[in-house]
Amino acid sequence: MKNNIYSIFFSVLLSSIIYHLGSLPVAAQQVSLSLTPPLIESAISPGKSIMIAYNLKNNGDPTIINTRVVSFSPMGNLGNIQLKDEATGPVRFSLDNSFLQLNNPFILKTSEAQQLLLRIRVPDGAPNGDYYYTLLAETQAPPTTEGTVSTRAKAAIGANILVTVTDSGVVEINPKITLFATKGGFTLNQNVKIFDSFDKIPVVLYVQNKGNNLIKPEGSISLKGNFGETANFDIVPKNILAQSERLIEATPSSSIDCNGPSCNSPTSVTLSGFFIGTYQLSTNIGFGENSPSIFASTIFYAFPFKVLIGLFVTIAISVYIIKRLASD
Amino acid sequence: MIKKILLTILFLTIHYSLITSHSYAITMDSTRFRIDFSNINSASGDKSSSGYKLSDTVGQLAAGQFASTGYIVKAGFQYIHSIIPFSFSVSNINIDLGTLIPNTPATGSTVLSINYGGAGQYQVTAIEETALQTLSGNAIPNTTCDGGVNICSESTARLWTLPSSYGFGYNMSGQDVPDDFVSTSFFRPFPNKAKAGIPSVVMTSTNVGRNRQATLTFKANISPVQPAGGYQTIVNFVATPSF
Repeated sequence: MKNNIYSIFFSVLLSSIIYHLGSLPVAAQQVSLSLTPPLIESAISPGKSIMIAYNLKNNGDPTIINTRVVSFSPMGNLGNIQLKDEATGPVRFSLDNSFLQLNNPFILKTSEAQQLLLRIRVPDGAPNGDYYYTLLAETQAPPTTEGTVSTRAKAAIGANILVTVTDSGVVEINPKITLFATKGGFTLNQNVKIFDSFDKIPVVLYVQNKGNNLIKPEGSISLKGNFGETANFDIVPKNILAQSERLIEATPSSSIDCNGPSCNSPTSVTLSGFFIGTYQLSTNIGFGENSPSIFASTIFYAFPFKVLIGLFVTIAISVYIIKRLASD
Repeated sequence: MIKKILLTILFLTIHYSLITSHSYAITMDSTRFRIDFSNINSASGDKSSSGYKLSDTVGQLAAGQFASTGYIVKAGFQYIHSIIPFSFSVSNINIDLGTLIPNTPATGSTVLSINYGGAGQYQVTAIEETALQTLSGNAIPNTTCDGGVNICSESTARLWTLPSSYGFGYNMSGQDVPDDFVSTSFFRPFPNKAKAGIPSVVMTSTNVGRNRQATLTFKANISPVQPAGGYQTIVNFVATPSF
């Protein structure tokens, strides 16, 4: 009897050990890709070609990758893009790799990297102008499982290519400030805003590119108070594509420590601190050497309304209590 | 005495195997992850001479400018010096919704992750290639959510909680997701590529960042008259940096 108990006990123990040591965790099939550089800006004259070396790495499970180039256009004014189904325009793309071609899938193992040598060629006679493309590295969907209800996913990662075709090296710079203003606060008239002294004040600056070549803003947003205090915020030089508009951002980042309804939408910069009196905001933007500058300004007023109201209420209550006590 | 020793060894073995069953030794590289070392710069900054001007950081991934006759090339974002490559991960590319029961919503999820320290800003878009359908063409229609004031669209998420509201859609939660996904009960239908739909932005941020994660939850709910079969679709996720 005692031996049987030991046998059963040992069997259970051995089964437990085998179960726990033998059952490895099962993981879902994962895709993880990285692609660098994320952006190429190039100005090329017709008849020239350049070669860009991209580094594609697979940090997920082994997968089949297809590479292709498609055109894109700017979407909205925050720097988003909309991809097209194919590459349009005069620029031609190919891979210089010996064993790789665009639109020709290849296998990329886990932790394996593949250098993609992308040749960008502008044919003779190509018209001047800007052409925007995205190099895509995309995986294939996993095989169908019969009889199940499932969603399969394909993942793609892209890197943008901005090509300016110019035979003379001259590009068109034609910018316009479409909006430079503070958000929130109390509007006195179209251009005058009033804020509480403790408010965070979001500022928005939109620049439109009316030309046919991309432009890159340089400059600053300046704040000047009525007591001589000043602050400067450097503009982040992000590209504004041809015939598009973009929100211009300045450092420090506008999203830091900005809460409340007025901060829910993107801003160029957020002013914080204690403000009192009249303030002038101005911006001066250039677009490189020998290019025209554009300027805009606005003003706002700030007073400690909340403190004054609190103080008034406190005094009123105090006076009321004192009078009440005196009458008693 | 021998039995006691044997029992002690067995107990220790069990203890070891049970307590440590979900712990793994840390390796520097595996099939599931990798560790990026900090950047070791051997040289960085701007250089110039009478013939060229070059802004780069040797040892970093890609940031440089090269000029020559007939062309100028700038690689990377010149205002960002980062070693974090632009990367995109989907935690699960085969999401099983199980067996669908009429009026009983089924869900499945996948996690989208983005590193974009060197990419300025980014967006992730999603589009379904077809409706969730069988090989014979029976389809679960894209959801319109609860209806009434809660009619959702490809660009606007609305409440979808009624068991009598049928269809296929998705919810986003986590970082950098659209504001209209107020809670996990808010859904949108996917745009349909077969019907010339335009991909919807499901993650985006205008600020430089890294390791941004959002969970995409698929949801399907069928009516009692939905034909039986294996329903499938493919959703394309595309991650792109800004310009």
